[in-house]
Amino acid sequence: MKASGSLKLVAGVRDLQIVDCEECNCGIVDDIELKGKPGGPLKVAALVVGPGGYSARLPGWAMWIVDRVAGRSAVKVPWDKVENVTSVVHLNVTAKEAGLARAEARARRLLPGRG
Amino acid sequence: MKLTELFLGILTAVGGFVDVSELVFMSQAGSRFGYALIWVVVLSTVGIMVFGEMSGRVAAIAKQPVFNLMRNRLGLRLGLITLIASFVSNLITCAAEIGGVALVLQLLTGAPMRLMAVAATAAFIATVWFLPFKWIERTYGLLGLFMLVFGAALVAIHPPWGQIAGGMVPQVPRGLSTRDMIAFAYFAVALLSAVMFPYETYFYSSGGIEDEWGPKDLGINKLTTIVGFSLGSLLAIALLASAAQLFGPAGISPEMVGTVALQAGVPFGKIGILLALLGMLFAIGGAAIETCLANAYSLGQFFGWRWGRHRPPREAPRFTLSWMAIFVVALVIVLTGVEPVELAEYAVVASILVLPLTYLPLLLLAGDRAYMRVHANGLLSKTLGWGFYVLIVVAALAALPLFLLTSGGQL
Repeated sequence: MKASGSLKLVAGVRDLQIVDCEECNCGIVDDIELKGKPGGPLKVAALVVGPGGYSARLPGWAMWIVDRVAGRSAVKVPWDKVENVTSVVHLNVTAKEAGLARAEARARRLLPGRG
Repeated sequence: MKLTELFLGILTAVGGFVDVSELVFMSQAGSRFGYALIWVVVLSTVGIMVFGEMSGRVAAIAKQPVFNLMRNRLGLRLGLITLIASFVSNLITCAAEIGGVALVLQLLTGAPMRLMAVAATAAFIATVWFLPFKWIERTYGLLGLFMLVFGAALVAIHPPWGQIAGGMVPQVPRGLSTRDMIAFAYFAVALLSAVMFPYETYFYSSGGIEDEWGPKDLGINKLTTIVGFSLGSLLAIALLASAAQLFGPAGISPEMVGTVALQAGVPFGKIGILLALLGMLFAIGGAAIETCLANAYSLGQFFGWRWGRHRPPREAPRFTLSWMAIFVVALVIVLTGVEPVELAEYAVVASILVLPLTYLPLLLLAGDRAYMRVHANGLLSKTLGWGFYVLIVVAALAALPLFLLTSGGQL
């Protein structure tokens, strides 16, 4: 499936692994942001990555727990940063450029050693 | 296919087959019901072969590990429930393994158990931090082969081979009271769970991805799961059969991990006990690492992080922090003083409850020709896969009532 082609099944993209242009895992598609007007065509605007993307998909009580454990942060990756969709979503940029490298960087600071 | 690789893979599978739950449940089952439960071990071994082979094939062809699949196939809600349930089950199992290692170290050194638990956990963390994936697997798997002393011990005590062979035929012993019948059913479910622990599939398929398996590795995958698991299962049967021969008639129920080592001590004396304890140390130690990494793999795959031990620890930081934290939490559970055998009992019940959710997405993807092409499940894999799936669903439904009715097999 090409990123420029028609995306018939939003459900097919949700919950797929995201891989950046350096072949590094950088998240899962937690939700999809759509854009469009009543009567007009509906288009995919962005991939939503992070626990904030769960809010439309989990019941309120579960979201309350997620909120306390992981917060509600979410990164939106514009659809034009998607190279193609196979069994994973390939980006045409690095995780850092897509804003998907922050959590790994924070965790790295907690580990012993340098770099 | 390199012959050495294949040989090492098979030996590793044999050495890594037995963990603390199997040690305890095989010996208790043998002591209480003689050879009558051997067929459950044989049946469960075929089950773990079927799902192990399937998970390795999916890793090699679709390049998708179990929890990626689960998230993709079950969706966020059901996937999250499976993640939490399997995380708790693996964490309890990991704590049981650390406790088991600490007990073995206590027997070997005479040092306090809690101190040994701390030392063992520190050694596991150092192992996973410094050793490459393949060497973690091989070091513990190969040293776990000291467990073969249990096989030699069985031969040395001249067991009734006819009765052992008869135990491979599905049966329920005649003349059992209702109480014993319920206990028999509990042990049957517990053995099924102990052999088919879900962490084994998570670890095995993640390992396939760590080792960058492709279509050329399908032969190794098939042989490792069939030959390696069969030989490992023979070791488990040896534990059950020698407990039936030695403990059953004496009315001994092996409630302690150390009691199991006596099975090798009877024919071989001190050297037998020493070899048995060394084998148990590395087999249970390997299982502690596998359960911990299986949990970290699950988190990494479910949330799409960088994961794996093929990367230096700092290149997969969330994954690295996860496995370190899991080891520490498992250690804390052990330090509360709860008995490792009790933990093993909880672990088998928790695991069987998770199995149906774990294997459903695997079965679906392994049969999907869009992903697996010519390597999708054939008639045999499909029939065996769905047949075992029905069996584990039934076992999962029965597990909790049986656990409560028998007070964890004590009835």
